[in-house]
Amino acid sequence: MTLGMTRLLDAHGHVGSWPDFLIPDPSAEGLLAMMDRVGVTTMGISHLLAVGPDAVAGNRLAMEIARQHPGRFGVWQVYNPHHRTPLSSTDGSSDLWGVKIHPDVHRCRLDDPRYEPVWQLGQPVLAHGQTGSPWSDAEQFATVAARHPDVPLLMGHVGLFPDGFDRAVRLVADLPNVLLEVCGSKMTGRWLARLVGLAGADRVVFGSDACFLDLRIGVGRLLLAPLSDAERAAVGHHNLAQVLGLA
Amino acid sequence: MPRKVIDAHRLAGPVPFDDLPTDPRPEMERLGIDSALVTHTIGLYSDPQAGNDALAQLTDPRLIPVPVVVPGVAGADVHAAGARLVRLCPQRHRFDLTGPIALRTLGDLGVPVAVDFEETSPAELRTLAGHLTELRMLVLNPGYRHLRALAELLAVAPNVWTEIGTVNTEGGVEWLAERFGAQRLVFGTGAPVLDDCGPRFLLDHLDLPPADVDLIAAGSLEGLLEGLPG
Repeated sequence: MTLGMTRLLDAHGHVGSWPDFLIPDPSAEGLLAMMDRVGVTTMGISHLLAVGPDAVAGNRLAMEIARQHPGRFGVWQVYNPHHRTPLSSTDGSSDLWGVKIHPDVHRCRLDDPRYEPVWQLGQPVLAHGQTGSPWSDAEQFATVAARHPDVPLLMGHVGLFPDGFDRAVRLVADLPNVLLEVCGSKMTGRWLARLVGLAGADRVVFGSDACFLDLRIGVGRLLLAPLSDAERAAVGHHNLAQVLGLA
Repeated sequence: MPRKVIDAHRLAGPVPFDDLPTDPRPEMERLGIDSALVTHTIGLYSDPQAGNDALAQLTDPRLIPVPVVVPGVAGADVHAAGARLVRLCPQRHRFDLTGPIALRTLGDLGVPVAVDFEETSPAELRTLAGHLTELRMLVLNPGYRHLRALAELLAVAPNVWTEIGTVNTEGGVEWLAERFGAQRLVFGTGAPVLDDCGPRFLLDHLDLPPADVDLIAAGSLEGLLEGLPG
């Protein structure tokens, strides 16, 4: 199996521990070693402290990690709508990839006006998506993407559950600013290939959710899914590189 | 790369909620999986006996049948008599895994059993393992969110093995191997409902000695089926 590309970009990563379960190695160093092991060039991370109770401190930690390992990590700065987290502008820094929001953890609907500062910033947005969730169903992605057509919006996990994938694709089919990011414990290589067939290879973006999930599972899914080399390269590199201006 | 790969958890047949391959062999060949323990979907999603009958029609030696057993249901143990492993679905088939009927049936059967972690609980499995100390159990689909509870189960129940296909938090498989040894860990996927691509790649990239990877890929399962110590 060939990757068909020279650089693998991972759109969805994390550093840090999470209260719901044990992550044996939540460190940036461990993640970097695993990235080297399986060929991930650069990973966009948010610190799980930032997704949780302290976005300011977690964002600071993520930026420090990115600075310590130039070119290996991009940062999704987390915006907590309750705390009105101060957001950084990119200032041309390639370390800052955009804004991460997690409507389910924050218990604030994706289409809630309290996220307005995120959309006004104009940076790419990676949002947790979860089919059937009152906070982050694909329908809400369609709503906010139509309101803000100039903001690239990555639908995290394509809604998480396979029984919602087909509907998620349909709901955002006419909204080209929405990209489908494919990490998740319920994703399969078969579904990854099917999503490429349904939405087009130019609308699907690779993510692993490491260290929350094992990076090898995500990378293996991309490498072993029944895709052409060109499709694999689009999903694993080109689409995200275009959004981030890294091409 | 492991010398031999056996998938301990695979399905044959159609599922009612998706359009998935019904024959596991093309994907097994594509992914370098030499053989698989297979349960028929008719047995899971319709009638256990009909599913076991359909399973008996699979004659390819690469597909090792894992019939579904419903304790107390007459005839359900016909195919199980020659099976190397049987599948229990206490939630789907609404029976008490640690009730008197199940304990009597499984004690009489004398065949290792596989149970999906989502259909039971660590406490129930601990109870079962305590009652039937000779019964070998394979936990399927343990997931990644209950690693501590799974570890507690493995620590107190030496007759329990676990599949690794869904142990997918960062370094989770190595964490289990360090504590319980690779001989308690078994490669399996749950495909095609669950993913086989990621777990197959993980198997090739485990941060473990080659001998341990060989155990996880096939040796541990063979030991479980043949009655070797875990």
